[in-house]
Amino acid sequence: MSQKRQRNLVQDNRTLAPRSTKTVVYRPESQIRRPRQLLWEMWRDLLASRELAWRLLVRDISAQYRQSFFGIIWAFLPPIVTALGFTLARNNGVVNIGETNIPYPVYVMFSMALWQTFVESLNGPIQAVNQAKPMLAKINFPREAIILAKLGEVFFNFGIKTLLLIGMFILFQVSVSWTVVIAPVALIHLVALGTSLGLFLAPMATLYQDFSRALLMITGFWLFLTPVVFPVPTSGLFGAVVRLNPVTPLLVTVRDLTTTGIVSDPAGFWAVSAIAFVGLFVAWILYRLSMPFVVERISS
Amino acid sequence: MTSPDDDVVLSVNGVSKRFCRDLKRSLLYGVQDIGAEVLGVRGKADSLRPKEFWALKDVSFQLRRGEALGLVGKNGSGKSTLLRIIAGLIRPDAGSVEVKGRVAPLIALGAGFNPILTGRENIYANMSILGLTKQEIDDRFDEVVEFAEIGDAIDSPVQGYSSGMAARLGFATAIHTEPDILLIDEVLAVGDIKFQSKCYRRLDELKQKAISFILVAHNPEAIYATCTSAVYLLKGDLITQGDVSPVMRRYEEELYKYETDEQAHGELFTAKKAKDESAGLDIVSVHFQDKNGKKTSQPISGEFTRVCINCYAHNNYDEIGLRIRIQKQGHGGDFLFMNNLHDKQPLQVKKGNNNIYLDFPYLGLMPGTYALIVVLLQGQLHQFDVSSPLNFKVEMHEGQRNLERSQFYQPRHWSSLKI
Repeated sequence: MSQKRQRNLVQDNRTLAPRSTKTVVYRPESQIRRPRQLLWEMWRDLLASRELAWRLLVRDISAQYRQSFFGIIWAFLPPIVTALGFTLARNNGVVNIGETNIPYPVYVMFSMALWQTFVESLNGPIQAVNQAKPMLAKINFPREAIILAKLGEVFFNFGIKTLLLIGMFILFQVSVSWTVVIAPVALIHLVALGTSLGLFLAPMATLYQDFSRALLMITGFWLFLTPVVFPVPTSGLFGAVVRLNPVTPLLVTVRDLTTTGIVSDPAGFWAVSAIAFVGLFVAWILYRLSMPFVVERISS
Repeated sequence: MTSPDDDVVLSVNGVSKRFCRDLKRSLLYGVQDIGAEVLGVRGKADSLRPKEFWALKDVSFQLRRGEALGLVGKNGSGKSTLLRIIAGLIRPDAGSVEVKGRVAPLIALGAGFNPILTGRENIYANMSILGLTKQEIDDRFDEVVEFAEIGDAIDSPVQGYSSGMAARLGFATAIHTEPDILLIDEVLAVGDIKFQSKCYRRLDELKQKAISFILVAHNPEAIYATCTSAVYLLKGDLITQGDVSPVMRRYEEELYKYETDEQAHGELFTAKKAKDESAGLDIVSVHFQDKNGKKTSQPISGEFTRVCINCYAHNNYDEIGLRIRIQKQGHGGDFLFMNNLHDKQPLQVKKGNNNIYLDFPYLGLMPGTYALIVVLLQGQLHQFDVSSPLNFKVEMHEGQRNLERSQFYQPRHWSSLKI
């Protein structure tokens, strides 16, 4: 009896705990007309979504690996197969690829892992919104959470690939510069570029499937404009195109910091980084503003 | 600051929302709306774009602390749209919604459940989505499992759960978030009767704890039993609001009227068949008669009622069978099924016009809209004719209204005797 009483008391205390009595108002007028409130809400929701993002990340990753027999082997296989293919082609003279400063198989595998991380971060926001459709249609949770969870997944996948890369560096006895410790910073910039583009497209891509199809095609072509399977070309029109490609300076910087320790294009790196982070902020605002209209078109 | 308005937790002020049924156009309007929102030119909308309609038009009401509000209306009257605007999922096109405190949508049973993961993992994921911290979930976890009656299955994947178990788990997680306002959209229809009554008990407890809620239900019983006030929506317009009884009476009346006007004639005539189309015995008309033998289109519960079937026979027949099926609106399958051959009362008809009568000493049907189908048979197998459904409405005497909670009319007699 007394135990039950105790429990009731505990429950009552919980009910009496201060509730937030903040008033929220939903209006038809553009939120962008109240920029200070908008920015404050963005900051609040970003903080509020950390724990939820972590839960979603844990949920998605554990579900992903529980339903798979080979598990994390799938993270290793694609770069290995790509590297194998290009190494065979190059050694047999099928393709003519210039000298790389580290053994070619390691070069391809490392670059491919970086490229994949970029593509994952580019597709991440679109996938996140698509997968969360039933939730988005029914629950008003901070919309930032699904994006953060996807970012976590991108870094988790890269972490697994890092294990493979370490193995390759040891196997081919490639020396590593001390600057490798700051390479993750450049990697974050690369992911920021991908996420800002993806976040920018996510609302429209949820309404129209054309965006996802086009993106698949574009990334397939984009790979060959990025120094992933070949070293940075130094001359010619192609070289100019490759250097104008915003992914090039970021990807090359991660590679430089890991291997030689000398950043070959610092100006390009900082320019693209600035674009990436400003773009990320703008895309975030766009994403927030457009989600209610996207949700309206998702049947519940 | 003790004005009565302090108690208002939700205030819906002249909310309108326009929708478009055409998908392509709807997507295009979506892009337009996003553009207007981003450029900051979006404002109050008071006109429709081509192919749009008002899903909600100028709806206003208030919800106070601890109040339970029933939201009724036919399908497509805008109930779910209204809940989605209150939940902050979609934006109104005009008017505003003011919400004080946390809103938990129970429109979302098990949204975010991942079938691969266990019940335990899903509780954590789902309650986080509904806005709880890990600490808060830890505190409530045992209660949720106990309420959902999941038992040991909590550590097995949700995909192996029965639909009832999954729904119970979804309801339990949502209701234990203890919000300030709970939005419940017909979700209580899931689960067995025992669980349903448990849910309603829980809602009552929440009401005691000054949690307000809005309940959408098709079953008027649920609204009568749970709610203190009601709002009736029809095609996006708020028709009436206030205490439960008058609102519900209006809703049910209009529901009947609407159907009666459209189709419940209470009488049926069939075009005369040519001789070669006929199987020998044709249904000409079907109608009802009251206790005075007067034709009526609306039979009355508990009264003597005669079904009069007029038919034309091309020959003399013995052993005529009559199969009567009565279906009730909103009730799948046959509501009543009768056959005079099963009752061992075969009928005879002579060449020419005949009337066949089926008498109900007391009509057991309760008020509602029904359809009657007549099948004429010789023996159990040979079929003469089938009538098209006769739609009719059953009425009830004013004085008997208190019987409306019953499923059928029970003729009865009360007495007392000292022994």
